[in-house]
Amino acid sequence: MVEARIDGKSASIEAAAERSAEILSRARLPVIAGLGTDIAGARGAILLAERLRGAYDHMQSDKIFTNLDVNRQAGLMCTTPNEARHRADVLVFIGKDLTRIWPQLVERLAPGEIPMFDLPHEPRKIVWIAPGRSAAELKGIAVETLDSSDLHATLGALRARVADKPITAAKGAKRKIDEVAEILKKARFGVAIWGEELLDRLAIEMLHGLILDLNKSTRFSGLPLGADANSTGVTQASGWMTGVPMRTSFGRGYPEHDTWRFDANRMIESGEADAALWISAYGQKAPDWKKQVPLVALVPPQTRFFQEPQVLVEVGCPGIDHDGAEFSRELGTIVARKASHPSDAPSVAAIINRIAQQIGGDA
Amino acid sequence: MLILLKGGRLIDPLNARDEIADLWIEDGRIVAPPQGRQPDQTHDVAGKIVMAGAIDIHSHIAGGNVNTARLLLPELHRTARPGELSLATAKWSTFETGNIYAAMGFTTVVEPAVAPHQALQAHLELSDIPIIDKATLTVLGNDDFLLSLLRDGEGPAAIADYVAATLAASNGLGLKCINAGGATAFKYNARTFGLDDVVPFYDVASRKILEALQRAIQDLKVPHPLHVHCNNLGVPGNVSTAIATIEAARGLPLHLAHLQFYGYGDEGDHGFSSAAAALAAAVNAAPNVSVDVGQVMFQQTVTISSDVLRQFNGVSSAKPRKSVIYDGDANGGGIVPYLYRESDFVNAVQWACGLELFLLINDPWRVFFTTDHPNGAPFTAYPDVFALLMSREARAEAAARVPQDALAHSTLPSIAREYNLNEIAIMTRAAPAKLFGFKDRGHLGEGGIADVAVYSPDKDIAKMFRAAHLVFKDGDLVVRDGRVAHYRWGKALKVNPGYDKAIDRRLAGYYERHFGVSHNMFAVPEHILPHSDPFQEVACAQ
Ligand SMILES: [Zn+2]
Repeated sequence: MVEARIDGKSASIEAAAERSAEILSRARLPVIAGLGTDIAGARGAILLAERLRGAYDHMQSDKIFTNLDVNRQAGLMCTTPNEARHRADVLVFIGKDLTRIWPQLVERLAPGEIPMFDLPHEPRKIVWIAPGRSAAELKGIAVETLDSSDLHATLGALRARVADKPITAAKGAKRKIDEVAEILKKARFGVAIWGEELLDRLAIEMLHGLILDLNKSTRFSGLPLGADANSTGVTQASGWMTGVPMRTSFGRGYPEHDTWRFDANRMIESGEADAALWISAYGQKAPDWKKQVPLVALVPPQTRFFQEPQVLVEVGCPGIDHDGAEFSRELGTIVARKASHPSDAPSVAAIINRIAQQIGGDA
Repeated sequence: MLILLKGGRLIDPLNARDEIADLWIEDGRIVAPPQGRQPDQTHDVAGKIVMAGAIDIHSHIAGGNVNTARLLLPELHRTARPGELSLATAKWSTFETGNIYAAMGFTTVVEPAVAPHQALQAHLELSDIPIIDKATLTVLGNDDFLLSLLRDGEGPAAIADYVAATLAASNGLGLKCINAGGATAFKYNARTFGLDDVVPFYDVASRKILEALQRAIQDLKVPHPLHVHCNNLGVPGNVSTAIATIEAARGLPLHLAHLQFYGYGDEGDHGFSSAAAALAAAVNAAPNVSVDVGQVMFQQTVTISSDVLRQFNGVSSAKPRKSVIYDGDANGGGIVPYLYRESDFVNAVQWACGLELFLLINDPWRVFFTTDHPNGAPFTAYPDVFALLMSREARAEAAARVPQDALAHSTLPSIAREYNLNEIAIMTRAAPAKLFGFKDRGHLGEGGIADVAVYSPDKDIAKMFRAAHLVFKDGDLVVRDGRVAHYRWGKALKVNPGYDKAIDRRLAGYYERHFGVSHNMFAVPEHILPHSDPFQEVACAQ
């Protein structure tokens, strides 16, 4: 049975949609936040935001914009997990958090295997920069590790040595940097892999510069791991629908994008946004903000809130309860996932459609 | 509902008509004048020009690379005004794209570069383009599966089966080949790649890939011939590549995309010149070949191409200075923003070269109207291009503003030809329908779908084409005086050639081994797309 609650009491979906529409359309500036949903849900949410003249944001925006801001500033060279797996003769892992971000990393990139598209067909070289204890994940595979307490300094030094420029460092550290720089330069098709939590904008920009430099003489590319809750898929849908990513507002009737102004947490805490629709279909995640605002939540069962939502509808998970399109990290593209355990739990898109119908027309 | 467009000038080259006549529409179709019945709706279009809805054969409007460009360049498309319809003014959005095309009287647009692994995203994006019908060309020619078949000497049947299975999975209307083998060679650090260069690892020449795919399309009886993006795009002296590719067609059907970018000699002080006259002569002499132009116009744009090698070589000329170079599973792609400047010698040569090709290729049935949106110019520049084609005076005015030495090796100043409306209708309606095997559009004959554009003649040709007086999509009046009245949702047109399903089992095994997933992971299931019944099949020949 589908669960919906109004002010903590059981309600029908119809009543919940009606009450949600009231809350959201009464607000001066509502924000649709979380946005952990499939493409259909994101699509509905963005059209609803336009109708409400509200804003929309994603729970993983900080990580998405860490990369995207560098891309928008300086550009990007990137490849797919599959090319990394089958072609890269050098894999450079950066940071201790990679396998936490992507538990299937080692399985998918198979660093211990000989890359099948590599011409000489030799065992590949693995470098791990700032590995913490995670290099141990590569059981039985030879890894060149490069410890770093300051990624900016390490990446800067590497870039300098790749360009044959001098650096000042202790002898042992310098020799180590030189060894790694040599591996990078000798790569035929190297791939650097990084996450958006440990690396900040400056580190990513330095890495981009390093990759560009390496491509003057050989081939090298990057594989940023992105973030979860279909954040990359939602970024894509936002891009084609409005021209810009999330953190976008329709306050003036047309999409305006600003990563600071339309950060949902900031909008709520500052009082600029006076109601919220929170969406988290992939996990029992509640909003981070502490301020009390009228709240409609589309979440899985047993999600615990700091503040009880005025309206709560339990939704299914894309790819489990219902079919859905989402960005696949392992394939680096948007895919359709079939429901693994089809259920009656409604999709985010279906509930948003009900809310939109209450406001007039469908999303 | 019975609709009458009364007394307009009907220009319908497929039915050899150019006359003042009435046009009747009922239930979304063009019908014969009904005997003894009164129309429910009459539009007096006396003095107006009535054509079928236009068909754009090559415009990059959707898919991963296009969307990367959107996300890379927010500063180039800030939205600044609200619209009446959903997201209609959101700059460079899928919604705005449909609005602008419809306002110009375009009712079908083909997105020409969809990687099989990104087909779902492309179709999701196309689904969010209102009003118009769409289609995609699927890209092969740098994919490991095909190159392995060629290396292993497999016959044409296996290749045709693979092409058909890929078209079916990606819901493509036809097949495109982009710098055949070049993107793969780039992964092995090649920095140039010509027609007779060999792809490392596979030991297969570019020419062989091209011939194999051309043959597969012919064997499958897909109406649209192989759509080719040649090697050496943009390189001085590359006219020889284009002419060699025309010869490589061996008299069989082949479409060469954005030919302007291959119309370059290496003469003069800059080592760069227009070789359009020689290239046009080669096209004129090869009736099996069709081309589209890829006209350059002077403005800011962004180049979006699956020719990742060429895009990498263009990174240093990016403006603003940032690019994305993506080594994808097969072709990948590159996004390089670019500013075409009227005062720039090279850009002026490119501009002239495109116009020369339009004007020197004699047969309007074989030269197609494109800017390779957005590579030569955004499609919003189409009205200005029509004006240049239809007015020698407009060309002379524009030519006076460019560096005159850029025209020294060009024939443009001496060309008197002006396109007439009938030729415009051929190039943008009748010929595209023929090129893709559309029976139901591109003409105003009975039984055709009622995609109709009505224009108000104007001395200002660009103005006339920018805002159609009326546009009907499937008999539904969607545009009045350039303003979109409401949305409707078009179809994606696709082919479905038959093939031996044994290849599906082979592909299943291949995807399990190489990608660790089922081949189905790259499919485009209809029910995942937002509107019901999203596809329409275009028949392959029998
Ligand atoms: Zn193109």
